[in-house]
Amino acid sequence: MSRNLNISQCVAEALRLEMERDPSVLVIGEDVGHQGGVFGATRGLQKAFGKDRVLDTPISETAITGMGVGLAMEGFRPVLEVMFVDFIGVCLDQVYNAIAKNHYMTGGRVRMPIVIKTAGGCIGSGAQHSQCLWGLFAHLPGLKVVAPSNPYDTKGLMASAIESDDPVVFIEHKGLLLARAEDFSFGGDVPADRYTVPIGEATVIRPGEDVTVATLSGTVLPAFTAAEQLGQQGISAEVIDLRSVVPLDVVTVATSVAKTGKLLVVDEDYLSFGLSAELITRVMEHGVDLKHFARHAVPDVPIPGAVSLEQAVVPNADSIGAAIRELAGRT
Amino acid sequence: MTSLRERYGYMLWMREFELACLEGVPTREIHGELHLGIGQEGIAAAMAGVLRADDALVSSHRNHLHAIAKGVDMRAMMAEIFERETGLCGGFGGHMHLFDPSLRFSATGIVGASLPVAVGHAHAARLRGTDTVAVAVVGDGAVNTGGFHESMNMAGVMRLPVVVVVENNEWAISVPFEAASATETVAERAPAWGAHGVRVDGNDVEAVAEAFASAVDRARRGGGPSIIEATCYRFRGHFEGDADQYRSETEKAERRAMDPLAITRDRLLAEGLATEAELAEQEHGVAAAVAAMLADVRNDPLPDASTARQHVFVEADA
Repeated sequence: MSRNLNISQCVAEALRLEMERDPSVLVIGEDVGHQGGVFGATRGLQKAFGKDRVLDTPISETAITGMGVGLAMEGFRPVLEVMFVDFIGVCLDQVYNAIAKNHYMTGGRVRMPIVIKTAGGCIGSGAQHSQCLWGLFAHLPGLKVVAPSNPYDTKGLMASAIESDDPVVFIEHKGLLLARAEDFSFGGDVPADRYTVPIGEATVIRPGEDVTVATLSGTVLPAFTAAEQLGQQGISAEVIDLRSVVPLDVVTVATSVAKTGKLLVVDEDYLSFGLSAELITRVMEHGVDLKHFARHAVPDVPIPGAVSLEQAVVPNADSIGAAIRELAGRT
Repeated sequence: MTSLRERYGYMLWMREFELACLEGVPTREIHGELHLGIGQEGIAAAMAGVLRADDALVSSHRNHLHAIAKGVDMRAMMAEIFERETGLCGGFGGHMHLFDPSLRFSATGIVGASLPVAVGHAHAARLRGTDTVAVAVVGDGAVNTGGFHESMNMAGVMRLPVVVVVENNEWAISVPFEAASATETVAERAPAWGAHGVRVDGNDVEAVAEAFASAVDRARRGGGPSIIEATCYRFRGHFEGDADQYRSETEKAERRAMDPLAITRDRLLAEGLATEAELAEQEHGVAAAVAAMLADVRNDPLPDASTARQHVFVEADA
């Protein structure tokens, strides 16, 4: 019954469905056309929609992102691929000074219905090819930021991102792109029809009583695995998949914390000045009784090359399990 | 083709408009940086009448003249520059961020950022199969940015209908072009991107108009991108308040004496295209109209502070 798609196929399927129903949707990026994307996330699209609508470009991210601005002003809905989120540095100006701001600067007269499709996450390729950076985008007003963790949400959030009249940074996880539906005990059932997953809504993927674990993207599955193991040892962890960083669903997390009193934020992005501090602060501002909290994120260090170093700094199922256990033990 | 008399009219409106904006600086009605195009009117006036309403024009921080050339409503422009609620962008953008989507006009305050956006407009024309063109206006400083190169290369390899107008006023704030550019001119770089390059005297509005019309025509016919390097001089500092001590007083005096308005005026008289009386009447008329516009704009309210957090997202919940 369930199709064993991998996540990159889910992205391609979502893009195809949107491009079929809306002729203003197009894709621009490097290797997205003929190759179908380095992870296969745009496979079949150029054949179906042509070379102008699925455009292979030179290595020119500033031109790509700026073209997106011009196309949006002409009424198109561009999906702009920045292959690895680490490459955002070369084109951040058009993203945060134009795409994010044109709607505001024009007092609402101009819309930027643009998706920045990009892949983050650790896959053993070192500091310049392993970052997540949703905290960076989330800090800049005018960008919505989503990071799905499973096949179902990936397809639905891509549809929502394209449908949105706001700019959305859609951050895939490189380590998940080839993960298949059968690898997931949540979100593995992907309908063939078009559907959307709302932007700005977190979801409880595993109910629990003792500790709230909030996370997203590549650390959801390990958090779920760790929670299952701890469950057999008498620790009941509620795991929440945030799915969106902007808007951030504080209500779902706060509702959970009202029950557990304890919040662990697991974040594969850098620790400081980012998502984990923001979420904890907002939960406190929300007014629930937060008795204990902890952050488990990359400790402000570039992602190392050697696997022994990498495993010391990037959250994984074991380290997440240890963090949950530690928080659960606090009185 | 727009007549020389009509172009002179554009130049008058442009000069008076900029002088009116200048009045808002000491009063702090314009409370941020202001970048005026006084002295560079020949170039913008050359573009007027060549561009269609459905052509796109993306300009820079020094954008007022190009907006006027494109036909953007001047009162709404002035109101935006003077930070009023009635402005082109409701007061949310300010002088560097003038947008008129109905005329496909926009501006950006980031040097060089206009060109990639123009390339997007040009690709839209390709997708729709229309013959509209996209014009980007940049200064001599922008031509050395990475984005300029990327955009020119993209336009060249895709043979897109892009026309780049480089207002080479020889100074990128305080850095002279000869110290910043590996080439003597910008136009000579054009073949590196498969583009056609031409250099013209920006004070000669007819020469610029001819080159511009030719480039636009080439783009419409699928002939690919062009660079028009128009030399000019910035009569005032980079921004209002700039002490402008990096340019010598001698240079400034000499170059300000080469005023595109005066040059055009002399030509109109010499060629019998207008009489002194007609020009004087026209000049007084424009000055009075702009003064009346300014007085009117100054009565408009500033946007309400309670609206400051609107428009971050289209979808209200952020």
